Amino acid sequence: MSAVAGIGLRALHLAEIARDQPATGFLEIHAENYLGASPARAAIERLRESYTFSIHAVGLSLGSADGLDEHHLARVAGLVKRLEPDYVSDHLSWSVHGGRYFNDLLPLPYTEEVLDVVVRNVGRLQEALGRQVSIENPSCYLAFAHSTLTEPEFLAELARRSGCGLLLDINNIVVTAHNLRLDPNGWLSGLPGEAITEYHLAGHAVNDCDGEPILIDDHGSCVGPEAWALFDAAIRRYGVRPTLIEWDTDIPALSVLLDEAAKADRTIATAGPDAARAA
Amino acid sequence: MPLALPDLQAAFAAHVTGRDRADLVACIVGDTISADARLRIYRHHVSHSLSAALAATFPTVQALVGEGFFRTLAWGFMAQTLPGQPVLAEYGAEFPAFVAADEPARDLPYLADIAWLDWALNVVFHSPEGRRLAAADLAGIAAERLPLLSISLPEGASLIRSRYPIDRIWNASQPGASADTVDLGAGRTDLLVLRRGDDAAFIVLDAGEGAFVAALAEGMSLETAAEKGMSAEPAFDLSTAFARLLTLKAFAASQHNLEG
Repeated sequence: MSAVAGIGLRALHLAEIARDQPATGFLEIHAENYLGASPARAAIERLRESYTFSIHAVGLSLGSADGLDEHHLARVAGLVKRLEPDYVSDHLSWSVHGGRYFNDLLPLPYTEEVLDVVVRNVGRLQEALGRQVSIENPSCYLAFAHSTLTEPEFLAELARRSGCGLLLDINNIVVTAHNLRLDPNGWLSGLPGEAITEYHLAGHAVNDCDGEPILIDDHGSCVGPEAWALFDAAIRRYGVRPTLIEWDTDIPALSVLLDEAAKADRTIATAGPDAARAA
Repeated sequence: MPLALPDLQAAFAAHVTGRDRADLVACIVGDTISADARLRIYRHHVSHSLSAALAATFPTVQALVGEGFFRTLAWGFMAQTLPGQPVLAEYGAEFPAFVAADEPARDLPYLADIAWLDWALNVVFHSPEGRRLAAADLAGIAAERLPLLSISLPEGASLIRSRYPIDRIWNASQPGASADTVDLGAGRTDLLVLRRGDDAAFIVLDAGEGAFVAALAEGMSLETAAEKGMSAEPAFDLSTAFARLLTLKAFAASQHNLEG
């Protein structure tokens, strides 16, 4: 079968990919790294002839009560227009308040009030881009006591009301479930499968917090065994989708990312009949 | 009492930038890991990731002062100025001025100029290369109009004028550079920072060229800029300097330039 899994394209690997053009399902870039007219963006535009692209934004701050930054939105829309990617996504989180950007995927309470805000912001984003976007579940380190919906319930309702897709980050489910004492398989089971458009896979770190282990979503290692098992469960339940290997810190040789993508493809092949039925 | 989303985000923004907010802590589920400890993960990530973003934009400053002192500088700067938007390559425009005013950093008087150079290289890297002025572009212009031309720098390019030999300091700070010492008394330097192919680069200018390019960048005509060059360096020769800078593709080929 042809490759389904793709890799996150990092600046360190750009020249090697341009030269060797390795086979991979698709390439995903972070929108915010390619908004200027840098040589890197020119290189990406040349690669567009050979690869399917995904644009993954990290700074739209879809959970901001203030609404979206229209200037930033216009720049992202400009990149989407130039690159015509197959997929566009950002996160269920916020990172901007009062015109200041915190460079983190900050958590939201899951309430009707917040649902209204996110539905409105995602609607504005989809209107500006003229297309569907997918929203990714974040990795969480805390929960708000006044949440009235679970995260899967919130995502399902967001997809239903805004028409957005869902990007299921398998590692983030593992991280969130561990940190918030949830059952990852239970978390996985309550989603509208038809809304799922993409899977993300990555590694995490284990840090100490108040003398207890807490999982940190650092994207700095190979995908762990729990995430592989949950990925297998996800594709058997919901079917195969474009799947991405993400790696953002301590970035290894390109071959390591391609090996991880090949491992995802083998998992997909093994789950084959079940996954095909689910799809 | 749960906070409404606008208030919660205001409290969270305050908390992650170092001001403890009890009303926020009260909204968060604590168990064997306390709400405070959970919030600290976000506070830690915000400060470390922004400090890392500044280090990526100001690599030569970090190489000169070391990671520990750089982090102190970065945290001091972040307390004053957070990014106004999510493109991290555009964060740090005010950092060189912060370094210039920072008391502990004054032991390294050239450090702020190195920060300006790092920033200028970053800006130009994210600017389009654009077509450059070539001798052929000037061939059709009547000789008597040439002195009146305004010549502009390429988009994103800038001139850095320092009392210190910052080109040598910069070169000696690059990964793999030999450990030669730089004589700080070697005198002033003018650098023209511009995109060259896929790289950000700088051209070392002599005193006359520096004054000449500075005048052009301010919009003065070729003739007036040449006078500035000569008053800075009596040996300045317009045709020699202009030919050298054209060869180095130092000017933009904008319509404005050619229309004079």
